[in-house]
Amino acid sequence: MRIALVLAGSLLLGSVAAQDPVAPKPEAQAKASAADCAAAVKQMQQKAYSDWRADLKKAREGTATDDGKPVKAMRMSADYGPVAEKAAVFAAQFAGTDDAVQFLMLVVQYSSGKDAQKAGIEQMLKSHIDSPELAKMGRMLGSLDRRISPEFAASTKQRMLESKNADVRGWALLATHQATIETADRDGAEYGTAKTALLAAAEAVEDARLAKDMRSAIDLREKYGVGCEAPDIAGVDLDGVDFKLSDYKGKVIFLDFWGDW
Amino acid sequence: MYPHERSLVEEMKDKPFALIGVNSDSSVEKAKAAIAKNSLNWRSFQNKGNGGEISKDWSIKGWPTVVVLDANMKIQYRGHNGEEATKIAEALVAKMTAGDK
Repeated sequence: MRIALVLAGSLLLGSVAAQDPVAPKPEAQAKASAADCAAAVKQMQQKAYSDWRADLKKAREGTATDDGKPVKAMRMSADYGPVAEKAAVFAAQFAGTDDAVQFLMLVVQYSSGKDAQKAGIEQMLKSHIDSPELAKMGRMLGSLDRRISPEFAASTKQRMLESKNADVRGWALLATHQATIETADRDGAEYGTAKTALLAAAEAVEDARLAKDMRSAIDLREKYGVGCEAPDIAGVDLDGVDFKLSDYKGKVIFLDFWGDW
Repeated sequence: MYPHERSLVEEMKDKPFALIGVNSDSSVEKAKAAIAKNSLNWRSFQNKGNGGEISKDWSIKGWPTVVVLDANMKIQYRGHNGEEATKIAEALVAKMTAGDK
């Protein structure tokens, strides 16, 4: 709730500042740059993590506190609450500029409450929908179903599809079509539509890794998906003896990608 | 998963079935130690060998991944669920051996 208020306040300040043509005051110029602020948040995040690791270590070693009581229960993760709060402050400070996006991302990433996460995403969609920076939300889209709700994930993707930025649209397209590419009937219309859309988007996006993700989702299905003829493997076994997967053709093969770790 | 795979190999030893591994351990010694320790009974490719990386060619994203191929090397299952993969492999073998009885 507190973060939501900060965000609402920042929006107000942002729009007031945008209407004011007066040159920035000296104290505004003296403020830390976005990069400095990002570094500061990163440092807080690393400290929260190392504090948590240190706590875990103490608890594992069974160290009792000075008054002889057992150590407090172990937490399942580091306490990133202060990190999220700091990020919200910076998001407010840079509101109205695309520098705010990186801080809003951190708010979403490190807030424990769904409402704060939602508010952060809403803010990004509202103020930065056409910014290339919003592409940073791309890798988060796959987990929005779980993090917030399937409805919210669907509406977020829908809004990103309307962005003027090709990469922002691209991430939303990939997230939208992934399941179809993985499971729909390959001869069906739905699969064809998804494939055409992704291949076209792969040409249009700037982020080479995103383009690769799009193409490899299709490749994976069409080369190594159910119903495909498996390519042969020619290699060496653990004794250094050459052999081929096709040596076992005629049998049912249970191909197990394993490791001892 | 070792006990499951081991017993699968054991159960299927007289049937048209092969469990083939693609081992991604950092060294052959490490893989061999695991085999000795857990009495593993299947043949494995070295993932990195002959200049390539099998898991990369096959776009493997998570371990373990199992791919089940029928007798014509057509992919019938690909995923991370060993039990599901086993059921599919057993059904394929059962279909092939149905005429033998």
